[in-house]
Amino acid sequence: MRRRLVPAVAVVLALAGMAAVTWGQALSGEYKIGVLEPLTGPLAGEGKRHLEGFEIVRDLINERGGVMGKKLAFAVADAPDPTAAASEANRLITRENVKIVTGTFSSRLCGAASEAAARHNVIYWETSCVDPRFNKRGLKTVYRTEIDATGFGWYNVEFIAKHLAPRFGKKPNELKIAFLSEDSSYGQGVTESARQRAKGEFGMQEVALEYYNFQTINDFTPIIVKFKQLNPDVVHHIGYTNDAPLFWRQAREQNFMFKALVHAGATGYGSSDFGKALGADGNGVFALLEPGPGFKLESLKPEGQKIEKDFRDAVQKRTGSYPLGSHQLAGSGLWLLKLVLDAAKSDDPEKFHTAVMSLDMPIGSMINGWGVKFSETGQNANDRVQHYMLQWQNGQLVTVWPEEFTTQRAKWIPLPAWDQRK
Amino acid sequence: MDPAARLGPAQIAVVAQLGVSTILLGGIYALIAVGLTLIFGIMRVVNFAHGEFLMLGMYLAFWAATLASLDPYFVVFASIPIFFAVGLVTYALVMRGVIHASHNVQIFTTVGLSTALQNVALVLWTGDFRTVRPWESFAIVRVAGTAFNLSQVVAFLIAILLTIALVAFMKWTHSGRVMRATAQDRDAATLMGIDTDRVYRLTFAIGIACVGGAGVLVSPLYAAYPTAGLQFVLLSYVIVVLGGLGDMVGAMLGALIVAAVEVVGSYFFGAAWKEVFYFLLFIGVLVFRPAGLFGQRGAETLGV
Repeated sequence: MRRRLVPAVAVVLALAGMAAVTWGQALSGEYKIGVLEPLTGPLAGEGKRHLEGFEIVRDLINERGGVMGKKLAFAVADAPDPTAAASEANRLITRENVKIVTGTFSSRLCGAASEAAARHNVIYWETSCVDPRFNKRGLKTVYRTEIDATGFGWYNVEFIAKHLAPRFGKKPNELKIAFLSEDSSYGQGVTESARQRAKGEFGMQEVALEYYNFQTINDFTPIIVKFKQLNPDVVHHIGYTNDAPLFWRQAREQNFMFKALVHAGATGYGSSDFGKALGADGNGVFALLEPGPGFKLESLKPEGQKIEKDFRDAVQKRTGSYPLGSHQLAGSGLWLLKLVLDAAKSDDPEKFHTAVMSLDMPIGSMINGWGVKFSETGQNANDRVQHYMLQWQNGQLVTVWPEEFTTQRAKWIPLPAWDQRK
Repeated sequence: MDPAARLGPAQIAVVAQLGVSTILLGGIYALIAVGLTLIFGIMRVVNFAHGEFLMLGMYLAFWAATLASLDPYFVVFASIPIFFAVGLVTYALVMRGVIHASHNVQIFTTVGLSTALQNVALVLWTGDFRTVRPWESFAIVRVAGTAFNLSQVVAFLIAILLTIALVAFMKWTHSGRVMRATAQDRDAATLMGIDTDRVYRLTFAIGIACVGGAGVLVSPLYAAYPTAGLQFVLLSYVIVVLGGLGDMVGAMLGALIVAAVEVVGSYFFGAAWKEVFYFLLFIGVLVFRPAGLFGQRGAETLGV
């Protein structure tokens, strides 16, 4: 029944979409891009937030003259899994006639979606997936504004070696580190790059490496019991949103004492749902993210300060809160797309590529304090896409590192007993 | 160094903790599987929407806690009649039309129901992960070197009580006898004057009441989100097949076996292996003891 319904609905939507294109262009000069998001299924929560970030910045862009002199509009499609991501990308391109597709929040989706776009020689503009393989497939029209997972791993180990180790009173090579991760390309990408740098560059001692499936994990106790015997200083845990609170709560139950837990990304410990689930009981967790409360506007370049402030105000107005990670990734990515289109004045893949390569902006020039410098493979440079370590402090994620960018400071290093983290 | 290779008091504490974790995790699985085995065993319907009723139970607990500050252990009493009614309505609207249809039709119907319920939850309550935070979800019990959560103990005890109650119901009440008779031979039961439609309606409603209550009980432990049921439902099938269709005590033991495989497998080999192990067990049981480890010999010919 569902199988017959889906094509029928797709056809109706496509017809409606085409009608909107002809009608819209005649009246106001719209420029439409495709937006792929997981709006149903297990990633729907973050997918919707990500779409919200796109919509907020789309309105900011339209208040500032749109793109290429036209009003920016979206053709939104739901991509709950990789198969849907590919087929919806095809539909957006063939039925909605978009020349640029953006999305997708998740590393599970961006590979399939971008592959489909590249096959049609359509520009694929990824703003948040971190799968390291994304830009290594030789696809000519595929770009990514966010750093990849190897960048996450790089920043995490940087933080552990240069900030945590001295505060533990240890040298980096004296640190024992346990790696725990969900097993999608996101978790593996971050974890493997962190392992490599931790061992190769700093000689840290890896005491455990454990992967699990975030959709079926119901009990971390056996893993925690094993970890307790190995006595790590740092737990490097890349988790999703149902498993991260479960691990933290069960670690507390088992009185598993470690000195710090470090995560990276807008899911799991980096999601606002973690704070809602644990409140002050989540105190002390570190998550590498886009900047949160404490982030100093004055640490940015003047043009960066202006757009960062406008963006924060717009998010505040719409959601009533400080921008969340998904908002920030979508927002900065879409803003950067506008800058490229302003320079290229065209969505022709060749001209677009030239415009992307010509952008060279230092750190602090944009939303999130990012800079821009793309490589030939379409990847924005790790050292321009500045990332920040945030810490859960009494139900709020605050920016604590690098210290020159923030007014807040990291607490509970090393972590005291579970009942003394107030 | 392999932690399993060490010996001594620390090792004994580990074994004790793994044992306790197995029993408590098994309790949660049993709680979820008991309703399924009832529906599966008596109606011979594979209810793929089982996990979604669990999810609805979790949301009931969440909203009761958020809107009316009700503790899940209070809500669980209200949830039984609520989900009994939900079961009756679902039966009347969805299951009744396909109860005599082929298994394929029933599977399509329940898969459709499952997808529909997931998406209703998504539309109504978004994809956010909702957590109930009653005091008991942070109450830690420490006994002889082992530690566990109070909510797990409560879930385990209620799973045992529920199993005993259902076994007693099936054995000693008229309705129970009628249900067993219908399970054994639908046509003969009809000829004996049993209203099989009424039996199926009752069975479905009891099964849904069990799993809805289970959803409320696990809410202090796991977050509610539209696809939360998927985390448990596949597992429930393994348990039901291990225990034998319609066998409540079998479901309890099957749940403990699956939990043991999961806990011990995770400790010695890693969490990534747990599904490999219990699906190997599942396939093994299907090949060598198709009626389930504790099922009646020949029960597999009853129509599934």
